[in-house]
This record gives sequence, C-alpha cells and structure tokens, in this order.
Amino acid sequence: MLEEFLSKNAIYIVMIIVLIVWAGVFGFLLVLNNRIKNIEKEIKGDTGK
Amino acid sequence: MIWKIVLFLLIAFVSIAGITFPIVAKPEHWYEFPLIMGLGENAKIIFFHVPTAWLTVIAFFMSTVYSIKYLRKKDLVDDIKAHTSAQLGMVFCILATITGAVWAKFAWGSYWSWDPRQTSIFALLLIYGALFALRSAVEVEEKRAALSAVYSIIAFITVPFFIFIMPRIMRGLHPGSADDTNAGTVVNFQMNGNMLLIFFLSLIGFTILYYWMWYVGYKSMLYKEKLNKQYH
Amino acid sequence: MSAYALFKKDLASELRTRYAINSLVMFIVVTISVILFSIGNEKISDFLSGGLFWVVIFFSAMSGLSRAFVSEEERGTTLTLQLIASPTTIFSGKLLFNLILVFAMNIVVALLYSALFDAFVIKNLSLFLYAFILGNVGIAIASTLIASIIAKASSKGTLYPVLSFPILLPLMLTLIDLTKQAMDTTTFSSSYVELAILGCYDVVMIAASFMLFDFIWKD
Repeated sequence: MLEEFLSKNAIYIVMIIVLIVWAGVFGFLLVLNNRIKNIEKEIKGDTGK
Repeated sequence: MIWKIVLFLLIAFVSIAGITFPIVAKPEHWYEFPLIMGLGENAKIIFFHVPTAWLTVIAFFMSTVYSIKYLRKKDLVDDIKAHTSAQLGMVFCILATITGAVWAKFAWGSYWSWDPRQTSIFALLLIYGALFALRSAVEVEEKRAALSAVYSIIAFITVPFFIFIMPRIMRGLHPGSADDTNAGTVVNFQMNGNMLLIFFLSLIGFTILYYWMWYVGYKSMLYKEKLNKQYH
Repeated sequence: MSAYALFKKDLASELRTRYAINSLVMFIVVTISVILFSIGNEKISDFLSGGLFWVVIFFSAMSGLSRAFVSEEERGTTLTLQLIASPTTIFSGKLLFNLILVFAMNIVVALLYSALFDAFVIKNLSLFLYAFILGNVGIAIASTLIASIIAKASSKGTLYPVLSFPILLPLMLTLIDLTKQAMDTTTFSSSYVELAILGCYDVVMIAASFMLFDFIWKD
C-alpha cells in the first residue's frame, strides 16, 4: 500500500530524504551547541578557582 | 531552547510544503501553488536556493560590519566574529552556486551561462577566496585582523557596482530579470499568497539557522584562542 | 615631507634602478606576443580584441604596480617614512607615482596594440579616451591600496593578482563594455551611465583608500 503510493509519487521520497538530512544537521548543531556550553562552564570554573 | 524547536519545525515545514505541494494552473486549495509560465515544477527551487544566496549576502554584510567594528575598537573578538561569518558565507555561497547550476541545467539547458546573478555570485566566491588567502598569509594576529578587515570593507563597497553594471552588460536569464517576459518583474513574481508565505518563512528559518551556526562557530573559535593562550 | 617630495624620491630611485619600468616593458611585450602567437593567422572579431586589450593591461598592471610599498619594506625604510610623514601624505605620494606609471604603461600598450592588431579599430576616439583616463585612474587607486596590504602581508608577489581581481572586476567589466561601444558606434548618448559608473568607482575608491590606509600603515 505504502510502497505503491511512494512509487507513484516519487516526490515524497525526496521529501523524506530532505527531512532526514535536516534532522541530522539539526541534531549535529544541537550537540555542538551543548559541547560549547560545557566548555564555557569549564573555562569559567577554572578561572573562578 | 524554544526557538530551536521553532527553527526545527519551521524548516521541516518549509521542506515538506516546498517539495510536495502540487503546482496547478488554477490554485483553489490553500496547499496548491500557481503555475508560473516557463518554470513549472522548477519553480520550487525558490524555497531553498534563494535563501542560500540571501545568506551569502547577509554573511558578507555581517562580516563587513564586524570588520568596521574591529577597526574602531581593536577588539580581537570582533575579528573572530567577522571571520566566522565569512566562513559561513563561503559555505552558503558554494551551496547557492551549486544548487543554481544544477537548476540552470534543467531550466536553461546549461550549467553555467554568465547570467548577471551568476557573475555576481562568482565575484563573491572570488572575494571570499581572496579573503581566506590573505588571512592564511599573515601570521601576526593583530596584523591579520586589520588587513582582512580593510580588505573586506573594500570588497564590500564594490558590490553595489555589480548591481548596476551586470544588467547593462548581459541579458538576464533569472526569473524576475528586467527583460523577462514570462515571470514579470521581481516584485510581482506571480506567486500567490501561500507561496510567498512559505518563501518568507524559509528566508526567516534560514536566517535563524545562520545565526545559530555563526554563534556556535565563533564561540568555539573564541575558546580555542583562549586555550591556546593559556598553554603557550 | 610633502607628497610631491615623496613622489620625486620614488621617481629618482626608480630611474636609478629601472626595476619597475624594465619589468613592465618586458611584461607588456611578453603578453602581447603570447596573444599574437596564440591567434596565429586566425582572424579574431573586433570585440574579442577589445577585451584582450584590457587583459593585457590587467596583467601588466599586476606585474609592476605591487612594487610601490614592497620596495620600502625591502629596503627597511618603512619606519623612517612613518616618522617623517603622515599616512595621507604617503598614500598621496605613492598614488601619484603609480598614476604616472599606469598612464605611461597603458599609453604604450594602446599604441603597440593598435599597431599590431588589425581588428582593434576605435571609431569613437573621444569616448575611448574618457574611458581610458577614468579607467587608468581607477586601476591606479585600487592597485596602490592593494599594494599596501600586500606589503604588510608576509607573502609578497603571488597574492597580489588574487586580491586585486575581485576589486578591479567591476571596473574591468565596464571598461570592456565601453571599449565595445567605442568600436561600435560614434554616438555618446548610450554610454553616459557607464562613464558615470567609472567616475563613481574612482571617487568611492579614493575616499575609501584615504580612510582605510591609516589602519594598514600603522601596525
């Protein structure tokens, strides 16, 4: 059912791929952002001691 | 945190809508796009290609603003901000060039045809390239910051000239060029309300994305510099 | 120390060594002969020869004009200059020298070029002359400023054309277009906008150069 629908409307496959890529990019940015925040905390902690 | 979720949903929505909403001759439902003469399905690139080109210009502008700020205050943080913005600008510039070239193959028949806007994005690529070449040639931090700031300001003031010169020298192929009889002028690009809405949502989404990437980028470079100074 | 005194000093040292003049002349000869060899017996179109004319000028300018500030760094006289003159004076002096150099060079190129290329025939001489003068001024200003950046960056020669090309690109495109028009028609009416663009470019560049030169010159 789903396969038949997708093979007729190939544009939805494009959409799914784009969404997966976007989710990946977003997740990567989120991880980077958190890492930066942790480093920020560490550096501030160091200077406070 | 809230704005990150908003950003995620915004670009996800733009991707879904921009890719899958059908293009019909007479749009009746809210999810249908109007048919633009001579473009057809190719018109959908506007939701992804134009924002990257827009970000190229925004990043270049931000880089120049922080360059001016550096020259006034001599604060190296401003130089790092300008540099990160230029790096992001380069990335989006390459993206805009490639997406544009692929699209041009199917809409105009060849990857590259020296359309005015293709020429100006090529000039932007050259400017970014020259900026990075200059940066890599100078060792001393303050000198590097001052020289690249000066260069990016001079490069920025040449940009308006391209806007005036290009359309006079070459015929435009881009939808919305002055002599385009199919799509009309830029202002009225025959987009209906929902197409315009999604287009502007896409612009907003990509701008927020740029801001976030820029923030992460310059913070990481800032801490790298700080740690370098601590251990050497 | 006045700008004119600095210009006279540069001229005297240039006439003694003839470094820039010699390399410029050789470069012009080499570029033109390379173009002549590659054309061979083919007939090239008028417009192509008009475009190639500016290619020769661009590359000759790139070979000779970078000397302005590099020579001071090489001789170690930068600090002395910083002590005895203000940045504005230094820039004016160097600009004056480069202006003379660009005009001398381009007049030679134009004469040689029109003698050697049959296709290069200018119908509207006065239009070409205006474009030529405004273009030379623009090339001199932009290349003097880039030369000062290059002198402060540690790598001397190779970066110069890379940095100059994007800055000179709008100027070059307008000049090529104006040359086409001068070869095409004898009327002025359609070329006012291009001449205005050249004029604006010169004014904007000279204003920006004098504002920004302070930041380059003072470390």
